Amino acid sequence: MSLCFRAGGVIWIGVVLAAGTVLAAESSPRVLGWQPDAMRSEGNVAGGELLLGELNCISCHAPGPQAADRLRRKEAPILDAVGARVRPSYLRALLTDPAGTKPGTTMPGVLAHLPPGEREEVIDCLVHLLASTGSPTYALPMRLAAERGARLYHEVGCVVCHGPRPDSDSGHKPAGGAVAGNGHTADERGTSGTAAALPLGRLSPKYTLPALVAFLQDPLAVRPSGRMPHLNLAPGEARDIASFLLDDLDLVSGLRYAYYEGNWEQLPDFDRLKPVVEGDASQFDLSPALARGRKNQFALRFEGTLQITTPGEYLFLIGSDDGSRLWIDGQRVVDNDGVHPFQQRRKKLRLRPGLYSVVVEYFEQAGGEELQVDFEGPGMPQQPLANLLATPVIKKGSQPPDESPLVVDPDKAARGKTYFARYGCASCHTLRVGGTEISSQQIAPPLNRLDPARGCLAPSAGRPAHYPLEARQRQALAAALRFLATPPPALAPEETIRREMVRFHCVGCHQRGDFGGVDPSIQQFFQTDMPEMGDEGRLPPSLTGVGAKLTEEWLRKIFDHGATDRPYMRTRMPRFGLTNVGPLLPALVAADRDLVPPAPAITVSEEDEKRWKAAGRRLVGSQGFSCIKCHTFAGYRSSGIQALSLTTMTRRLRRDWFFAYLQSPLTFRPGTRMPTPFPDGQTTLPAVLDGTVASQTEAIWRYLADGDDAQLPLGLVTGKVELVAFDEAVIYRNFIEGAGARAIGVGYPEKLNLAFDAQGLRLAMLWHGGFIDAARHWTGRGAGFEKPLGDRVLALPDGPPLARLPSPEVPWPGDVPSDVSRQFRGYRLDSVRRPTFLYTWDGVRVEDELRPTGEPDLWVMQRTLRFAADQPVTNLYMRLAVAGRIEPRGMGRYQIDGRWHVSVRSAAEPVLRTGSSAELLVPIHFENSQARIEVTYDW
Amino acid sequence: MTGSCPSTLSAMRSGWMSMALGLAALAVALGVPLVGMAQIAPVPEARTPEDDYYRLIRFPLSEQLVLEVGALEMLPDGKLAVATRRGEIYFVDQPLAEDPAQASFHRFASGLHEVLGLAWRDGWLYCVQRCEVTRLRDEDGDGRADLFETVADGWGVSGDYHEYAFGSKFDREGNLWVVLCLTGSFSSEALYRGWCLRITPDGKVIPTCSGLRSPGGIGANAAGDMFYTDNQGPWNGACSLKWLRPGAFLGHPIGNRWYEVAGEVMGPRPKDPQSGSRMMVEAAKIPQLEPPAVYFPYSKMGQSASGIACDLSGGKFGPFTEQLFVGDQTHSTVMRVYLEKVQGHYQGACFPFRAGFGSGSLALQFAPDGSLFVGGTNRGWGSRGPQPYALERVVWTGKTPFEVLRMEARPDGFLLTFTEPVDLATASDKASYRLSTYTYIYQAQYGSPEVDLTQPEIVQIACSPDGQQVRLVLDAMAVGHVHELHLDGVRSARGQSLLHPVAYYTLNYLPGR
Repeated sequence: MSLCFRAGGVIWIGVVLAAGTVLAAESSPRVLGWQPDAMRSEGNVAGGELLLGELNCISCHAPGPQAADRLRRKEAPILDAVGARVRPSYLRALLTDPAGTKPGTTMPGVLAHLPPGEREEVIDCLVHLLASTGSPTYALPMRLAAERGARLYHEVGCVVCHGPRPDSDSGHKPAGGAVAGNGHTADERGTSGTAAALPLGRLSPKYTLPALVAFLQDPLAVRPSGRMPHLNLAPGEARDIASFLLDDLDLVSGLRYAYYEGNWEQLPDFDRLKPVVEGDASQFDLSPALARGRKNQFALRFEGTLQITTPGEYLFLIGSDDGSRLWIDGQRVVDNDGVHPFQQRRKKLRLRPGLYSVVVEYFEQAGGEELQVDFEGPGMPQQPLANLLATPVIKKGSQPPDESPLVVDPDKAARGKTYFARYGCASCHTLRVGGTEISSQQIAPPLNRLDPARGCLAPSAGRPAHYPLEARQRQALAAALRFLATPPPALAPEETIRREMVRFHCVGCHQRGDFGGVDPSIQQFFQTDMPEMGDEGRLPPSLTGVGAKLTEEWLRKIFDHGATDRPYMRTRMPRFGLTNVGPLLPALVAADRDLVPPAPAITVSEEDEKRWKAAGRRLVGSQGFSCIKCHTFAGYRSSGIQALSLTTMTRRLRRDWFFAYLQSPLTFRPGTRMPTPFPDGQTTLPAVLDGTVASQTEAIWRYLADGDDAQLPLGLVTGKVELVAFDEAVIYRNFIEGAGARAIGVGYPEKLNLAFDAQGLRLAMLWHGGFIDAARHWTGRGAGFEKPLGDRVLALPDGPPLARLPSPEVPWPGDVPSDVSRQFRGYRLDSVRRPTFLYTWDGVRVEDELRPTGEPDLWVMQRTLRFAADQPVTNLYMRLAVAGRIEPRGMGRYQIDGRWHVSVRSAAEPVLRTGSSAELLVPIHFENSQARIEVTYDW
Repeated sequence: MTGSCPSTLSAMRSGWMSMALGLAALAVALGVPLVGMAQIAPVPEARTPEDDYYRLIRFPLSEQLVLEVGALEMLPDGKLAVATRRGEIYFVDQPLAEDPAQASFHRFASGLHEVLGLAWRDGWLYCVQRCEVTRLRDEDGDGRADLFETVADGWGVSGDYHEYAFGSKFDREGNLWVVLCLTGSFSSEALYRGWCLRITPDGKVIPTCSGLRSPGGIGANAAGDMFYTDNQGPWNGACSLKWLRPGAFLGHPIGNRWYEVAGEVMGPRPKDPQSGSRMMVEAAKIPQLEPPAVYFPYSKMGQSASGIACDLSGGKFGPFTEQLFVGDQTHSTVMRVYLEKVQGHYQGACFPFRAGFGSGSLALQFAPDGSLFVGGTNRGWGSRGPQPYALERVVWTGKTPFEVLRMEARPDGFLLTFTEPVDLATASDKASYRLSTYTYIYQAQYGSPEVDLTQPEIVQIACSPDGQQVRLVLDAMAVGHVHELHLDGVRSARGQSLLHPVAYYTLNYLPGR
């Protein structure tokens, strides 16, 4: 249902009430900490004290000093720039009916007591006042951004307070990746989780995209009390999440670019870089760099949406100097990477009508720089790809259109200033106009003299502030007021801790004792980059004993900046602000003081210090307790899981706790994978120092106290393991880049090398010089594909090496036909370990012998292929080369791309085919069921 | 092309390294002992009670010969074949020498892709590499393999490092069994990841079991039935020993997409288990689901179960004839397993056996003299044993330890058989025992804490006349639970405590009356 009417020359758009909202009764203020049953129990003073702060009662009703310690105000949003942040139509709607416009709001209605005509005038003036602080800008979210935002929203921790999205109040379909679930569970434990979240509903009536992005980048600037913490979002992340939250708006918007500076030899991993500048682009070109006068060492990433209206085959061409890549809908379509002069790559795709995300990556190292991104389509000659970019289309009538800025009437704004002060807005909201803060004219009795039967708590619409409280809230507030009528006692440390954990909803992520913890209904949203760490890697750590565990310095750091100690954990510890959560610090220290026995005091003389640190270094390394197998060290990765850094341990942890923990990790972290170096109270390395647990722990502590300056432990940095062929060939069977997962590398003493792909049964690469570095696979866990070590790497044709062609003009098959049987059969080594590969192809047995031949410094690779078949074989061809240019040089020799040569000796004449690329084929001619071909590669 | 004069420091350094490697290569070609090459610091010796019964002989290690043992095999001529993660196969001459420094290492093959299975038959050495079963032979008699024949390669490899392939010895039908780890240990991105395959003598691939996650080893029991170890992770609350019953689904559903191509031999795809349930609850609903035979409770009995070997020495390795020995890579131990069949399914108990191995125990292999070779590596993961790799031999001293020999389930309790007569007073005293039971959540999340704890009471104890058996009667049997039994108070008739006074029995099925 939407209300749309015209008044005062402005189109007013009323609130669109989504399905599920109860229209009859107003929704009561929703406070996260209030939701659990235990809080809402009858006459619960603690619940009332929470509400006194969260509903801002104490902004008007000053508490006495002892009461103030128990109550903490949730400051209302600072309105200094609200005009740029919130749409004027929303401001108007909110002022007219706060609880109707934003169900669950903690903002009271302060104008309800005015007669209707007067009320409208006051609201109008207030809107003009607020709109005088700025006006919003408009932009539409992008599809890819909204999809990323859907993932981020559900990953970084938004769900803990705001629940999964879509929620029942938002009334729109999810962008890709959102997970269903309403976040409501019966909360019987009474203290944890998001049994009742704070769903965000539809945000597009309130925020524009740029406004929401700005807010997400620093919520504390607008809402300083930290109930919504600062998530330390990167600018791109803020935009992505905002795009997701506003994805009921149209999801198309041209093209955006991000510009980076740096020195690369190939396209960098853009996810790990921070752009220098980002903006809108209208085409794929280098103007963002050239405009800055930059010609070398930069990179660009373009992201946009293509609109395809005509179905058919599209040819994408990307030409660049240096490297570039083109992605369509997340698939890498063209890879034109590397440092090279202008070169173009192309790829055909069959596309149906619709929207496609497009990403172009580009980098320039030095020399010339050029980027050309074109396409050809059905009935469309070659032209810039930018011509296919989607243009924003406004869907009819589904969401608020862009509003023209409110023209501020200065008289109204001036009157609004008066009303702002008169009606209590200024009691809660800071608003500075013309440099001065508007101060409130409201006078209210102090807290300890309030009568619960009157004022805001009166059952009928309260004045001067109307909070649509539910009965339990009233009762709790009344109970709290009665309790606070006399100076209350101080809170015990543990009680303070619990209250703060409830107030800031720490309990949504963290457990302390049996209090709090992740609600089962949102468990699945806690994800990790290290699934192998189990729950330890994805669920935030327990706060049991944290006052005894973390140093004050570190706690302060976490409160003021958030935490980054667990980068593998996708849920982030946000920044609540030291002023907000500071009271936790002394409470934690006091409450947990005696939880851990004091560690033994160990004095080490100055002369011995070096020996002890050396012992610590030995213990931490790969031949000691192997801490570095799991823990990172001074920015170096570990070989396995990337557990918390060792070099921050002594700043992060208290020494007493460190000693106790090492002896029994499971006691402190149930379910941890961390083993103890001291099983059954004995060290596994009795020969280090005096072999006692205390000394060895001390030694580790002292060593780690050097932090990033500590000498690197053994096993952290490993060098190359170059495999060298002396007088015999060396074989290396492993994952080799360019030759696949079943690759067999062979290095020859002549310093020629090859890689054979035992999956595709083809010679994949040839290269000169160094054979291969085995370090990648032979240190740590050995992940990934290793490149050839040497130079002049020649990649031989992909795809089937052999094929039956009914006639020489038939195109070479892209894949092996399914009726062709193939089998790798192994290899035989000669006296100097040179292999002859054995395989069968479509009934033909092949022996494929490769040997360097020639003379020193002029070695070439000679390949002898012997074919044997029991049945007669016709029309079998081998494809030796695919290139831009293949030129016959006579005597069976061919020059390829003007750069290298291949010579062929075979019974039948090789076939040279030209087309979009040139191909060199050799017919396999059988005589007496045998055939033989000799190929020489000279590169 | 590179020049012939190394001009940079790294080239020079690699030149020296290459020369050293070359010397080492020459040494191994000639089959000389490696004492004298750069040594790896040996494990500091600290005597433990276990040494009285089973002593450890440690092969000296050098930095040049990287013995990251993946598989072991005894050869007919008495040599020990050692295959490594670096794809090398060494033959060890005089592996049973009392002074292991006398053994010499000779490299038979190299350039293979991580060998985790070795089996000899008819003059060929079969090895299971990452992507194929290959058999090797020395054709020209120079002591090195010349022919590398692909026997079978019918499974997928995506290039993920965690896609390990372990191989068994030949079974009674002449088949080799291969167990394939999941991609990344979490998903199944290539053909038959998470499956067990049998390879027939002519190289045919027979899909045999589904539902595997991250195998650490494979081996047969005395009856010729095949088992493997799986590791804690999704759908695996703790490490365990599982029976590779042909046609069974062993618990982790993510590889079940391959039922489409597995054919009739595996039958229909099993229903997916419900996450958050219990193993025996799901086993009752899913007929193909075979529960783990023996759990190794996490952190109490290791954290990374590995290789398996069966004592078929007929008594040369002590009293545990026909029982299984299982390594643990994290704790650097070897554990012992007793199995029985209840309602047609294997289940049983695990006991600590021997600790203190030099590296992460991975491959186990019995020798003809009844000693047990244990090869280890801890590259990529941590282990209590501080060495990067190790080769050790466990030898029975001839002295029989006082241990629980067997723990058998009864409808209302357990029958314990000891290696020697017990002291009746302590053995009949309920206070000598402490029993608790628990199980694991069978769930998609990684691992599980111990849940559903119970503490049954021992209501009756009866000892056999010869004192070698004790019958415990309990007030309740928790079916589907691990029964953790501590026997701290039990003494032998000679007054000794048990060498390892704890046993963990996995009671999936209750024996009938």
